[in-house]
Amino acid sequence: MVAVELIATPFLQHILLVYTALFVSIALGLPLAILALYYCLLRKVVMAGANLLQAIPTLAVVAIVVPLIGIGFWPAIIAIILRSLLPIVKNTWIGLSSVEPAQIASAEGIGLSEWEIIRYVRIPNAYPAIFAGVKFAAILANSVAILTAMIGSGGLGALVFEGLAGVNMAKMLSGAVPAILIALFFETSLNWMEKRLSPWRRAYL
Amino acid sequence: MIEEITAVWIHYNLTNRTIEHLVIFSTALILAVICGITTGLLLYQRRRLAPPAFLTLNTVQTFPDIALLVLLIPIAGIGTHPTIIACVLYSILPIARNTYTGLASASPELLETGRAMGLSDPEILSLIRFPLAFPLIAGGIRIAIVLTMGIVTLGGIFGAGGLGAPLQTGINLIRPDIIFVAGIWVGILAVVLDGAAGGIESMLKRRFGSW
Repeated sequence: MVAVELIATPFLQHILLVYTALFVSIALGLPLAILALYYCLLRKVVMAGANLLQAIPTLAVVAIVVPLIGIGFWPAIIAIILRSLLPIVKNTWIGLSSVEPAQIASAEGIGLSEWEIIRYVRIPNAYPAIFAGVKFAAILANSVAILTAMIGSGGLGALVFEGLAGVNMAKMLSGAVPAILIALFFETSLNWMEKRLSPWRRAYL
Repeated sequence: MIEEITAVWIHYNLTNRTIEHLVIFSTALILAVICGITTGLLLYQRRRLAPPAFLTLNTVQTFPDIALLVLLIPIAGIGTHPTIIACVLYSILPIARNTYTGLASASPELLETGRAMGLSDPEILSLIRFPLAFPLIAGGIRIAIVLTMGIVTLGGIFGAGGLGAPLQTGINLIRPDIIFVAGIWVGILAVVLDGAAGGIESMLKRRFGSW
């Protein structure tokens, strides 16, 4: 049996890593998506970047961060953001831009300003797409955060890699199993939150 | 610049690493396509099993890839085999889900036309439903290609060889030259494969998508 205190610190580090990266991604991603509605060039750059960067293996992204930025906690955060920002921007933009033109027209008709249309028409309509993006990004961030232990971020990945180096199965599992539980927690909690925020829609599968 | 690249390339034997990488990748992808399409087809024929099956596959999909590779160690050890198993486990969902959706969502008019021409149910499946599902299946395979490429690279950490191995060496030794050469090369490979898959997907969409 592995001692609880052995897991506690890496677990907290892991959570800190994932949540920091995720919050930065959301804080950057939503405004970027709204801006992309108005600037065609930004939209093209974001979409092309999203598709290209998504194809590149995570290990390569994490590796290339090392010579460019260095090792440690913040480079790891940047590596995770590089992975999780684009799905959020892409999904949010798709959600915001696929609102029915008739709804926009009637919102304009009752005299809503541009900002009010975004706030009361576009964003509520985009909830399912935004949540799908955030869920995807959260699960991605969780799995990249294990890998970034290679570049010295600490967290549950450190247990996995120490166990791997020492052929210590118990240690590897004490890193892997909590990470899986965190992933399942993200999945269920975000599903629940989506249902609470958009009760008029069926769950988005 | 070019001399440095060739030096790293030769010293870390990247030609063989690339071949190794592509062999693992294509084995995993072929297995994933076979398993995925079969699963999609079986679920299409046993509709009641579809929701629980997709829920299970969805749950597997949320597992961090490294955690899955760790869980596979007691079953399959380390090296090439667990990497391929992990690739297949991750790739079944997109391929099976798209196959299922494609088969189930053929337009009723076309099915009616087929029946009026006297086609039997298996013929309707193979002559109408499958061709109509090609673009969606290709889309699923494209997602699987990206997933597989990522996991095969990751397999390098778990002793599977391929281009992940020099990347790991580069990170452990903090050697920018190895990281840049191997990282950019594997990035280019991934982007090219994804682009090729995208091309095939849109070709199929043009051929089978518009009726």
